[in-house]
Amino acid sequence: MNLLRRLGAEPVTPRKARTTLILALILIPAAFVVLVPYLWMFTTSLKVRGTTGLPPYLFPNAFEFGNYLKAWQAAPFLRYYLNTTIVAVAIIASRVVLASLAAYAFAFLRFPGRNLLFLLFLGTMMIPFQATIIPSYLIIRDLQWFNTFQALIVPRMVDAFSIFLLRQAFISIPRDYLDAARLDGCSHWQALWKVVVPLNSASVVTMGLFAFLFAWNDYLWPLLVANSEQMRTIQLGLQVFAGRYQTEWTYMMAGTVTATLLPLILFLAAQRSFISGLTRSGLKG
Amino acid sequence: MQVRSAGSHNWFTRLRRSDISTALLFLLPSLVILGVFNFYPIAGVFRLSFFKWDNLSPAKTFIGLDNFIRLFQSERFWNSLKVTAEYTLVVTAVSLFLGLVLAVFLNNRMLLGKSFWRSMFFLPVVTPTVAAAMVWILLFNPGFGLVNVVLRALGLDGLNWLADKTWALPTVMSLGIWRRLGFTLILYLAALQSLSKEYYESAEIDGANALQRFLHITVPLLRSTTIMLVILGVIDSFLVFDQVMVLTRGGPDDATEVIGMFMYLNSFSLFKLGYGAAISVVMFVVVAVFTLMQWRFVGFGSAGEAE
Repeated sequence: MNLLRRLGAEPVTPRKARTTLILALILIPAAFVVLVPYLWMFTTSLKVRGTTGLPPYLFPNAFEFGNYLKAWQAAPFLRYYLNTTIVAVAIIASRVVLASLAAYAFAFLRFPGRNLLFLLFLGTMMIPFQATIIPSYLIIRDLQWFNTFQALIVPRMVDAFSIFLLRQAFISIPRDYLDAARLDGCSHWQALWKVVVPLNSASVVTMGLFAFLFAWNDYLWPLLVANSEQMRTIQLGLQVFAGRYQTEWTYMMAGTVTATLLPLILFLAAQRSFISGLTRSGLKG
Repeated sequence: MQVRSAGSHNWFTRLRRSDISTALLFLLPSLVILGVFNFYPIAGVFRLSFFKWDNLSPAKTFIGLDNFIRLFQSERFWNSLKVTAEYTLVVTAVSLFLGLVLAVFLNNRMLLGKSFWRSMFFLPVVTPTVAAAMVWILLFNPGFGLVNVVLRALGLDGLNWLADKTWALPTVMSLGIWRRLGFTLILYLAALQSLSKEYYESAEIDGANALQRFLHITVPLLRSTTIMLVILGVIDSFLVFDQVMVLTRGGPDDATEVIGMFMYLNSFSLFKLGYGAAISVVMFVVVAVFTLMQWRFVGFGSAGEAE
């Protein structure tokens, strides 16, 4: 809309029209290359079984929605969805609570060793998951947590990145708000949930989005600790399914579409908050 | 409210007046989780790297630095480092270059629907790696995969991409670039939008053309974003695992065996946990060095320009 107004306000010179045309000529093919995998996945998922080898076409001309039903019957995708949802919701909820508490402590409370402890927390961001995976795996084994929800949830209940993200947001709110709440007799607990978190709801939502994507796309950790048919999360389930039905491309792509759709929809719905969170923090790779 | 008492130097008085009990309560859950699943494991992996342990027998044998010595003498380890380095170099360099070029186009004020374009290029970043790898297997299928179909239409021979020792790694890289491009694009675009117009206006008066403006103004001004993206890209690529596991499992032979794959195979296929821990330690050290570099050059969490 802004642009239309700008275009209207300024005379459209041939030079500007040419620029717009050149941009379209560059960006349309570039976006096409980036988006072709989605199109190919979708088209294949709707093909009639056994016709994948025929001369290929990019846009669907058959609509075999039965493939989705077949894929869902061949593997317990509903179970995978349910498992992933349980894990994702639990991780989001616990991160909202625990990271908010920790961020509040680092942002507003005064106690000896605060900076040192904050630095120690941040230090965990330089520990790659693969460096701690063997001992973590052994802990889960000693707790006898293999193939349980705890194994997928508890290690991920809080992380330094979420705490950091919220702490940076919290310190930017005017200190007066908090002081006023405290003078009114709010406890720290009440001040956190009634003042600080509502004022920073955008950052909390961004953090929740990151947590969701993380849980939905997670693969290596579930592969190690929860690889039973009943406990598999969606990405793991998809891979096992693909291994079993290797040549059934139509079913395989139907399964892939169902494993991909939710994060894409969620991102498109919340892209503004997502991208601004990413550019503000810039830390998440 | 805190009452600041400047005169008190007594540590206990200060402690009592601080919010220590509330802070402890608020931080305790995070301390426990990070302690058990971050601090304890990182200490544990260093400890385990000094032992020989097959995970079946209860006995761990202390062998000092033997795991590291064997590791540094292993050709397969050096191969995995080489493969990882090639992957990292290509994926980081290409995604940075394409991300910057596309960001410049997206930043043009004549462009219609900027946020639409931005979202389209960003979709791969939020697409699950395993799902994307499934599509890659299909795209690069030697028989009817789209890539070979296009090549044949152009009169070229198709390849058996993922089974070819020369081409398997570039195929894995292409997925890495596809997934990384949106990230570099978004951060470059944010940085471009924060640049002052004045530089460009004076350059235009001086008669600099678009390419000259890009090379002599845009690129230097984006220096700190570039440094940050290089470091983040190196860390991200160095730890690549999911797509290799799904696409090739490190094969054919060890043509795509990145260090993450090498660690996984030793630890969880061969169950050489002490040896696997030694590889983990190497991975930790490399990532820690690059993370410290990032904190040194860029600081925590500043994606925009430092200036």
